[in-house]
Amino acid sequence: MDYFHIFSLPTKLTVDLPALEKSFYALSRKLHPDRFASRPAAEQAAALAESSNLNDAYRTLKDPIARTEYLLKLEGIELEEQSKAATEVARTTGVAKKQIVPPDLLEEAFELNMQLEEMRMAKKMGEDDPQLRHDLQAAKSAFDAKMSATQAELESLWSKWDAALDTNNAAAKTAARDAMVSLLNRRSYLRNLVRDVNEALET
Amino acid sequence: MAYSDKVVDHYENPRNVGTLDKSSESVGTGLVGAPECGDVMRLQIRVNPETHVIEDAKFKTFGCGSAIASSSLATEWVKGKTIAEALTITNTDIVKELALPPVKIHCSVLAEDAIRAAIGDWKKKNHVTEEVGVAVAAAH
Repeated sequence: MDYFHIFSLPTKLTVDLPALEKSFYALSRKLHPDRFASRPAAEQAAALAESSNLNDAYRTLKDPIARTEYLLKLEGIELEEQSKAATEVARTTGVAKKQIVPPDLLEEAFELNMQLEEMRMAKKMGEDDPQLRHDLQAAKSAFDAKMSATQAELESLWSKWDAALDTNNAAAKTAARDAMVSLLNRRSYLRNLVRDVNEALET
Repeated sequence: MAYSDKVVDHYENPRNVGTLDKSSESVGTGLVGAPECGDVMRLQIRVNPETHVIEDAKFKTFGCGSAIASSSLATEWVKGKTIAEALTITNTDIVKELALPPVKIHCSVLAEDAIRAAIGDWKKKNHVTEEVGVAVAAAH
C-alpha cells in the first residue's frame, strides 16, 4: 500500500495538512503498543512495523518536497537511471547529451563555488575580504529569492498535476511530471548553494 | 562509507586541477552537473589542431570525493589520447578503475559526460563534424 492510500488520500499533491495530521493521530492510536500489550508477540511486532511505516508515510507526505519526490518515484521516475541511460545514448549516437540542469544555473553554481573557495582560502590566511563577503551576501539573497520562487512554481505544478488526474489527461500528467522533475533538479542545486553560502558567511 | 584507496589517492592528490584558456580555439570546455547530489564538474582539454591529440587536460570539480576522483582520473586518461580515442572512455571504465560503489556510479557518469561535453565544445569551435569516434573505436 502506498503512502497516499494509508491515509485514504488520492495520489494528489495538494494535501490538506490539518486533515492529514488528524488522520495520522487517529491511525497512530489504533497501532499504539499499549493496545497490543496482551497480544501474541507476532501481532505486537506487526503493529510495531505498521506503526513505523505510518510514521514514514506521515513524514513523507507532510513535507512538500519529500511528497513530490515520493509521487515521482511512484510514477517510475528514477533520476539516476535516466541520467545514465542518456549518457549511453550519447555514447552510441555521438549526439550531445542534454544536461538536465540549465547551463546558466551550472555556470552560476560553478562561479559561486569558486568564490566560496576563494573566501575559505582567504580565511585560512587570516584575511577577510570585505568585497568578497559583500558578493556572497548578494549571492545569498539572490539564491534565497530563487528558492522561494521554486516553491511557488512547484505549487502551481501540483495544481496542474492534480487537475490532470481529475480529468484523466495522460499528456497533461506527463507534462506536469516532467516539469516537476526538472524543477526539483534545479532546486537541489539551489539548496546546496544556499547551504554553502551560509556556511561560508557564518564561519 | 569507505572509499577505495584509488579514490582517496585521487582525492588527496588530484591530478590536473586548474583552468585552461576558455577563449582559445584549441581548448574545449565541458561543464556538467549531477542533480542527484548537486555536484558541478568542469573539464577542459587542449587539442593539437593537426593531430587531434589531447595535449593537456584540466578539471575543477565541486562535489564529493568520488566526483573529484572520477574527474581527476578522466583528465589523466584523456591526456595523450586523440579525440577519437578519448570518446571510447566509458563510465564503466571509471567505475572499475576506482572501484566505485553503486551509490557513486553517477559520479563516473558525470565524468564521462564532462569528457564528451569538452570534446563537443572543441568540435563546435573548430567545425569538426565527422564522427571520428566510431572509426577508431572499431579498430580497437
